[in-house]
Amino acid sequence: MVEEASHGLSRVRQIYQDRPHRVRELRAEGKKVMGYLCIYPVLEMITALDLVPYRIFGDMREPITKADAYLPTVVCPFLRSCLDLGLKGKYDFLDGVVMAHICDVGAGLAGIWNMTVKMPYSHFIDTPHTIHETAQEQQRGLLKDFQKTLESFTGKELSPGRLREAIEAHNQQRALVRELYDLRKPGPPLISGTETLQVMVALMSLPVEEGSELLREVINEVKERRDGPPRKPARLLLWGSIIDDVAFIEMIESLDANVVMDDTCVGSRAYFPDVKLTNDPLDGLAYHYLVELRCPRTFKEGIPGEARKDYMADLENRFSYLGDYAKDWKVNGVILQAVRYCDSHGYEVPGVEDYLASIGLPSIYLERDYSEGALARLRTRVQAFLEMIG
Amino acid sequence: MTQGVKTRAINRLQSMYALRAYVDKIYQAGLEAKKEGRPVAWCMAEGWAGPILEAMDVETVYPENYGTVCAALGRTAPFLERADAEGFPTHLCGYARNGLGYAARMRDLGGEIPPEAPAGGMPKPTLLLASGMACDARFKWFQAMGRYLDAPLWTLESPSPGAREALMEGAYERDVNFLVKELRNFVTFLERLLGKKMDWDRLEETREGTKEMNAVWYEVNELRKARPGPMHSRDFWSSMSASMYRGARDYEAITGLYRNMYDEVNYRVDNKIAGINREEKYRVTFIGLPPWHSLGFFDQLAERGWNFVTEAAYHPLKPFDADLSMVSEPIERYVRSRYRGLAQSIYDDYEPEEASTIIEEIKREGSAHRLLYKSVRDFQIDGAFLHPLLTCRAATFALPFVQTLLMEAWKVPSLVIAGDTVDISLFDPADALKKAEAFEGIMDHYKGVRKEEGLEW
Repeated sequence: MVEEASHGLSRVRQIYQDRPHRVRELRAEGKKVMGYLCIYPVLEMITALDLVPYRIFGDMREPITKADAYLPTVVCPFLRSCLDLGLKGKYDFLDGVVMAHICDVGAGLAGIWNMTVKMPYSHFIDTPHTIHETAQEQQRGLLKDFQKTLESFTGKELSPGRLREAIEAHNQQRALVRELYDLRKPGPPLISGTETLQVMVALMSLPVEEGSELLREVINEVKERRDGPPRKPARLLLWGSIIDDVAFIEMIESLDANVVMDDTCVGSRAYFPDVKLTNDPLDGLAYHYLVELRCPRTFKEGIPGEARKDYMADLENRFSYLGDYAKDWKVNGVILQAVRYCDSHGYEVPGVEDYLASIGLPSIYLERDYSEGALARLRTRVQAFLEMIG
Repeated sequence: MTQGVKTRAINRLQSMYALRAYVDKIYQAGLEAKKEGRPVAWCMAEGWAGPILEAMDVETVYPENYGTVCAALGRTAPFLERADAEGFPTHLCGYARNGLGYAARMRDLGGEIPPEAPAGGMPKPTLLLASGMACDARFKWFQAMGRYLDAPLWTLESPSPGAREALMEGAYERDVNFLVKELRNFVTFLERLLGKKMDWDRLEETREGTKEMNAVWYEVNELRKARPGPMHSRDFWSSMSASMYRGARDYEAITGLYRNMYDEVNYRVDNKIAGINREEKYRVTFIGLPPWHSLGFFDQLAERGWNFVTEAAYHPLKPFDADLSMVSEPIERYVRSRYRGLAQSIYDDYEPEEASTIIEEIKREGSAHRLLYKSVRDFQIDGAFLHPLLTCRAATFALPFVQTLLMEAWKVPSLVIAGDTVDISLFDPADALKKAEAFEGIMDHYKGVRKEEGLEW
């Protein structure tokens, strides 16, 4: 039986260890829980209809068995793990799922999940690949359809007023996350990368208001703490595909490094830009969830179809925020990582490396197998990298 | 036939050779255009841009096809190795890695074609046309090529809704509007880049011409349902590139060649001549993208009576007549004549009662099993050859699921042989042949099972 911790980081750790605990309680109280994969499903629309958004993760400690019947080993092991857990009933507390066109396998997974895991509700958002104005219009239309199916499922109207309230609540959480991230700027950071990831995972397991309340506790605790991470010579930024388990960051932080910043989706990508409150709130949401989220799955360019190609200008347009992060968090090295078979991040790697080299930041690229066993090999490489940046 | 001389196992269509020659034409035309100072676009095959580029007199070259050419000629290694050295992970699309390696070499040479490039190579492009259709590589690869080529890049979006979402009210019209606006913006971009106006009459002519070309090609493939199968997959793969890559430019000639092929295949149907020169013991479908580097492997299977009568990828869509009487704007006419909504597709492909059942199933379940691989029933398939590719998630991710569905729905077993489209080191033909031999017993067993269950074949 899980003991209730009262607050702060110890509650975060508890939630991290037993993610479904709180949503199972809420479900028993009559709430409905909506699973979502990745950061492209629009959480505000879920929250506005009094559903609890719950992010679907894998489990790198659980051997994949049932998913082998549906997904081959040459696809993203994270997505295979998600499906495996679904097939094993580990997500039986979900009342529905929302998935989006995040990548080839992610899009395909939506159909396979429908046919094999079977839930009372599902919706797939065919998020466009570009940020063209036409794509933004299309995105808005797709969200209108999402609204229809949510309204049909809940029997409630998703009014602009409710949506605005939900946007404000989620923006409040975004602001709190940024405040937490500010506490990683000092030397040494007041909160480790490992702890930060645990906080992010906890937030993605709770209703937005409860998550924000927990976050306020964590921020206050961290500001006052005297037992924060030790100062280490390397201050690293972690870029890349999903990290939903602390093992990888723990491995890095067991060496001579503090992980002080990230550009990952269980991290800053989901929280850094706010959703703009527009007259029609769907407009702001459509823009945010297509244009402002930073993930290589979206094709971004400075000027659509610019007639003269300038590679460095293109890199600057796509990655300058990394330079800003590096400056603000005083980063002196970057670990680029991707789960094996992640194509979106794989194509991006040389470009990111070029950009980082142009601003004098050393980097290393690591491919992960989404398993604990593979970490030992990576540890050696990280160690060598840290010695190099010394 | 001279006694003692064994005929080749695959009975190649004579009409195929003229179509196959169009592959070379892609590259010859690209080089000529460059020499003449005409614009050249490196494109992803995506179904929309060809006629538009043709109407703007832009020559099109397809790096993804170039990957298959390099693979078939055994010349991918230097480009793949170069892509690896450039830092691109080895699990990325083989076509992309071949193309990235090629582009890197081109940059080394100041924009000149690498001397080691087969088929004359691809000239430096005036523009790059990426696509949001079918897979992530189609835009991520071309985006990455900005490292080596200073050509401007345009990415053409294409909707790919989920099945249930595609049936929602208004979804089809929204997708049509999306495509129309995307293509209009693409035309505006081209006009600005090239300093000339779109020839709308030429676009309309090409639209009509390619429609007819695809209709004939579709009918050729419908003939392949006959027993014995009159046309082997190798002939399909050799013949498809003409319409896919040169169709917009040469639709009249290619239509004529497909008509010749139709006549030849029809003759075989009437005279029960198979696509293999052996007894057709097994009717097989190929699911995935072919191992372009090792197509001779299929001859070994043909020796054993395996007739690959159809394949899952690259097929022309079923033709349909859209009512354009109220549509005068050329881009909208273009889109509506080619983009058929899911509901309409289902009603076109199935009897009305079955179509309604399928649509209700989709609305209820989110998808319909029987939409997947209807061709297995139509072509009376004994076995599926599934080819998971280590470097193509889009063509591979669903294969285990397909294997399960084919068995559940049709009692058709699958043989899984892993490989790659361009990297020969990832395919073991000797091992594949051993597995194929063992698989024959399984196909024989399930012939009996289907009979017992009252299935048609």
